[in-house]
Amino acid sequence: MPIEVSSLCHSYKKSTPFEKKVLHDINLSIKDGEFVGIIGPTQSGKTTLAQHFNALIIPQQGRVIINNCDTADKKADLVKLRHDVGYVFQNPDYQLFAPTVGEDIAFGPKNQNLTGDEIECRVLEVMEQVGLDYATFLRRDIFALSGGQKRRAAIAGVLACRPQILILDDITAGLDPRGREEILGVIRKLHREQKITIIYISNSMDEVAELAERIVVIDHGRIAFDGTTRDVFSQSEQLYSIGLELPEVMIIADKLRALGYHLPPAILNLEEALDSIAAALQEGRVAD
Amino acid sequence: MELTKNITLGVYLPGKTLIHRLDPRTKIIAAAFLITLLLFIRSYEAYGIFLLFTAMVILSAGIPVSFALCGLKPMLPVLALMWVFQLFLYSTPGAEVLFSWWIFTATDTGLHMGNLITLRVLFLFIVTTILTLTTSIVSLTDGLENLLKPLRKIGLPSQELVMTMVIALRFVLILAEELDKIVKAQMARGVAFDRGNFLQKTRKLFPVFLPLFINAFKRAEELIVAMEARSYTGGKGRTKMKTLHMGRVDLAAGFIMLLFSALIIYIIISIKPQI
Repeated sequence: MPIEVSSLCHSYKKSTPFEKKVLHDINLSIKDGEFVGIIGPTQSGKTTLAQHFNALIIPQQGRVIINNCDTADKKADLVKLRHDVGYVFQNPDYQLFAPTVGEDIAFGPKNQNLTGDEIECRVLEVMEQVGLDYATFLRRDIFALSGGQKRRAAIAGVLACRPQILILDDITAGLDPRGREEILGVIRKLHREQKITIIYISNSMDEVAELAERIVVIDHGRIAFDGTTRDVFSQSEQLYSIGLELPEVMIIADKLRALGYHLPPAILNLEEALDSIAAALQEGRVAD
Repeated sequence: MELTKNITLGVYLPGKTLIHRLDPRTKIIAAAFLITLLLFIRSYEAYGIFLLFTAMVILSAGIPVSFALCGLKPMLPVLALMWVFQLFLYSTPGAEVLFSWWIFTATDTGLHMGNLITLRVLFLFIVTTILTLTTSIVSLTDGLENLLKPLRKIGLPSQELVMTMVIALRFVLILAEELDKIVKAQMARGVAFDRGNFLQKTRKLFPVFLPLFINAFKRAEELIVAMEARSYTGGKGRTKMKTLHMGRVDLAAGFIMLLFSALIIYIIISIKPQI
C-alpha cells in the first residue's frame, strides 16, 4: 500500500482568528515495506502530516492517495483504510478504555465484524508479537499496567486490525530505558518479519538513526530533508540550524575524529559505533 | 475533525482595543447588567436595540463576526428543540390558534414565547462570549475576586470560588482538545461514529467518554499536586502582582451602559410586551 502525498497544505483552526498554517505544499511518497523516520522540532507539523496518512485528517488542499484511494473522495471507504493504516498515538491513555487488556485489543477486530474465534486468534497473535504474555495479561486490568506495558497494549490494539502500514507517533516518550528497548525491539521485529511499512515519528535522533532507513525532516510545515538516514545525518549543520541534533553516537564519533582517530563516516547505531571505535583505538591516532 | 474550532466560550482573543483595555470589573458588571436586562425584555423592538448594541461592541472589540457566531453552532439543535417545545406547549387562554397537528396545537403566544426565549438564550451566550473573548483569564479572575471580596465578610470563600470557576472554564478547551485526540485514536481502530442506528451510535461513545473521564480525573489530581507544590493553600493572605485601576475609559463605558439601559428600560415600560 504505497502512500502518495502531493501539494498538501493544512491550516489549524481554519477560518477563525487563530488560524495557523501547519503544512505547506508537502510532496512525499512512501513505498511498500519502507521504514521512514519523521523528525522535526516540536510543532513542526509531523503529527498533522501523519494523521493525513490514515484519513484522520482529510486534506484541505492537495491530495493524499493511499493504495490508489483518494482520502478526500466522498465514496472512499475510510473505515477500511484506517484498518489498513494503523496509527498508534503518543499517549496510550487516549486509546485504552476497556476493563481488561484482552478486551481492549479485541476492540479493533470487533469493529471489523470478525467472528469470535478469529478475534481470539488475533488477540493471541498480537499479544505474542508485542511481548505481553497471553496467560498473564489477557484478563489484566488496564489500570494495573506499567507505562511500557500500556504502550505495548496500545500497539497490540492497533496491530490486531492487521495493518499493512503502521504509524507510530512518538511512542517512546516518557518511557524508562528498558521499556524503550523492549518497544523498539517489537517494532524492529514487525518490520523485519512482517514486512509492514513503518512510519516512525520521534523526537529522539538516536532512535530514528538506529531504526529508520529513510528520514523525512519537517521544519515549519515544510519538508527540509528527505533521504537515506546516512545522507540526512551527514547534513549536521543544517540540522542544528533548525533545532535538531545528531544522534549521540555521531557526536561521539565526531569528537574522536577531532582528536585524530580514524573513523568511517556516518556511524548510525551503537553496534557500528562500538566496532569502529574499538578498531580505531587499536589502530591508534592517525597523527601518531 | 476539529472540535476545538467551534468553541468560543472561555477563549481569549488577544487585542488592544478599548474594550480589551477596560478594567475587568467594568466588563463583568456590564455583562451582569446586560444579562439582568435580558431577563426583563419581552418585545422584539427591545431585542432589536439589544442586537444593535452587542453588534457595536463586537465590532469595536475587533472580534470577527463569523468567529463570534461559530460558537453558536453546537448550540443550534438545543435552541431549535427549545423553540419547538415553546411553540406547542405554551399557550394562554384566548390565544389565536395558528395550526394544529395530531395532539399538538401551535398558538401565536407559543410562537412569540418560543422566539423570545430562544433570543434570550442566544443573547446570554453572546454577552458572556464577548466578555471572555476580550478578557484574559488572569484579569477575569482578578476582577471577579475583587468584586466578590465584600462577600468574604459573610463567610463566602470568594477566592476559592473564582479559582474553581476559572479552572472549569479553562478545562472546557483542554477537554475538547483531549476529546479530539481520543476520537481520533478510536477512529484509527475502525470506529465509524456516523454509522449505525441510534443505539449503536450511543454504544460507540463508550470508548470515547471512558478515557475522557479517566484522563480528566487524572489531570485534576495532577493539577492539585502542581498547585500545592507552589504552596497554594487557598485565598487567605494572597496578594496581587497587578492591582486593578479604573480609568477614564471605564467611566465612559459606564456612561454608555447607563444610556443604553435607560433606553431599554424605556422600551420595556412603554411598549406592550408580546407575551
